[in-house]
Amino acid sequence: MSMRTLTVRIKRYVPERDRSPRWEEFKVEADPHDRVLDVIQKVKWDQDETIGLRRSCAHGVCGSDAMRINGVNRLACKVLIKSLPSDVLTLEPILGLPVIKDLIVDMKPFFDHYKSVLPYLINDDPPPTTERLQSPEERARFDDTTRCILCACCTAACPPFWGDNKYVGPAAIVNAHRFIFDSRDRGAAERLDILNDTEGVWRCRTVFNCTNACPREIKVTQAIQEVKQALLTGEVDTHSVVNIHQET
Amino acid sequence: MAVTARSRRVKPAGGFELAAWYFMRISGLFLVFLALGHLCIMHLIHNVESINYNFVSDRWTNPQTGYIWRLWDLTMVNLAILHGFNGLRQILEEWINRAKSRVVLRTGIWIFAGALLLLGNYAILMFVKDADYLKNRRDASSDAVTVRADVDRGASSRHPAAVPAFDVLK
Amino acid sequence: MSVYRRGLVSRLVEGLRYGGGAGQWSWLLHRITGLGILLYLVVHIWDTFLVIFSPASYDAIMGFYGGKIHGVEYPLLRWAFRLGELGLFASVVFHAVNGLRVILFDLSPIRAVGAQKELFWAVVALFFFIMIPVTFIVIHALVAEPTPVAAAIVFPRNFVQAFVH
Ligand code: SF4
Ligand code: SF4
Ligand code: FES
Repeated sequence: MSMRTLTVRIKRYVPERDRSPRWEEFKVEADPHDRVLDVIQKVKWDQDETIGLRRSCAHGVCGSDAMRINGVNRLACKVLIKSLPSDVLTLEPILGLPVIKDLIVDMKPFFDHYKSVLPYLINDDPPPTTERLQSPEERARFDDTTRCILCACCTAACPPFWGDNKYVGPAAIVNAHRFIFDSRDRGAAERLDILNDTEGVWRCRTVFNCTNACPREIKVTQAIQEVKQALLTGEVDTHSVVNIHQET
Repeated sequence: MAVTARSRRVKPAGGFELAAWYFMRISGLFLVFLALGHLCIMHLIHNVESINYNFVSDRWTNPQTGYIWRLWDLTMVNLAILHGFNGLRQILEEWINRAKSRVVLRTGIWIFAGALLLLGNYAILMFVKDADYLKNRRDASSDAVTVRADVDRGASSRHPAAVPAFDVLK
Repeated sequence: MSVYRRGLVSRLVEGLRYGGGAGQWSWLLHRITGLGILLYLVVHIWDTFLVIFSPASYDAIMGFYGGKIHGVEYPLLRWAFRLGELGLFASVVFHAVNGLRVILFDLSPIRAVGAQKELFWAVVALFFFIMIPVTFIVIHALVAEPTPVAAAIVFPRNFVQAFVH
């Protein structure tokens, strides 16, 4: 495939210079096999070194380069140029979090929500002499939600979160789900109590933006609905294998 | 410790938001039938243009079916107001998130909803037919034959009185 | 250093620009129809309250909804109310059918949630399945008595009929 000439529109916000964000345009030659991240780096290296973005692994693992690409939240390192329908590429910071500079947002509110659901194993039972055993089925029960990389694509795609950044958000619920449905964990009641708050799971309106945005293809809305059901019935099923990978 | 239990009981959930969420589902299910049924009866089988005081008073005071219609309307009005204003509260709280503003918002919403609940319930429960008014109205309309005839023709020819099968729906 | 926080309006507009697809559209429509129905409900409770408070005003209001002021019919007004009536009907039908879709997600976190796109199209299909006959019935009742179209838009029906006869 031949090179494509892309028009890259970036929503810039440089705090020393701008009072509010504004669009800037760049022209770049891009290989179809390049990723959006490569294109941004090219612009930054060759045309304007002041462009701010966050990145690290460049392989969809660290979750640091979530941004709004052509209108939807994606990891810049996971979108190939050949998948773009047109030669215009728009890049914006993700919504709902304060913009620090250009494509960099302040992730503190996001991580505060994450921490609020106690995302670690809670078990005060006397430690067994060997490991805390778990059957393959029990492990499979929450496998889907173990894969979250905390990129915030989901939370920043969630309409209720745009309006109300006190809403704990899909990412935090996903990470609560990971422990609530873990048979070794004993903190389910405490976490469910936190999620039962006004700013907890009930803010979710099943819009599915989160599920569509997740770069790890986690079934985010499904996890949220399972938490709602646990709250409604007061019962946590830590065993039944829930289909996880059969329908993709 | 053994980890064989299939499921664990957690503290039974409760709380206002859960109750509100649950109420929205249950009332929604009821309203699908009550509100859509009401719309079908009033707007399709009858016609808004043939609905007037005479129609409503007959409907609510009919010795056989009046109680059913009042019960229907009563359930519908109460569920719809609570469902609607709770929905409004949920939408607004998404955009108004300072704690103090929310208190003001909730207070306002529930006062307004309460007032409407009073109006609706009062009208349905306390209604008595105003026979004098109906009689006067008939007299008045026979005086002004030309205008009334034209107007009534509009309503009646579109919905001739002879739809006997649906008479019970009054 | 200062960060940029979006204001309320800006967040609303930016949100609408998000490419959320079927889920976001049905969420938005559910809200808009919900708010519309609520507005109508408030008006409707007030006007129905008149049956107990003042039968004459009630009849006047009902006449007004039928496009009549003091017994004289204004076709433009009448059409506006009938189209509004159709809008109300459509809102209630969509809100009801989509509400059932939302309830399905709650009942079945796995199967229904997994089929959310299909369920969206089912909602659209059911909506039109109901609304097409409804539209026909309402419009039919409206045009069953033909009025000369061009003139009818401006003049009361009595006035038009005086000339047509
Ligand atoms: S499904 Fe719930 S959490 Fe996910 S985007 Fe929609 S409202 Fe937000
Ligand atoms: S659930 Fe998916 S989109 Fe959300 S933070 Fe985790 S990896 Fe990112
Ligand atoms: S740079 Fe690490 S996920 Fe994209």
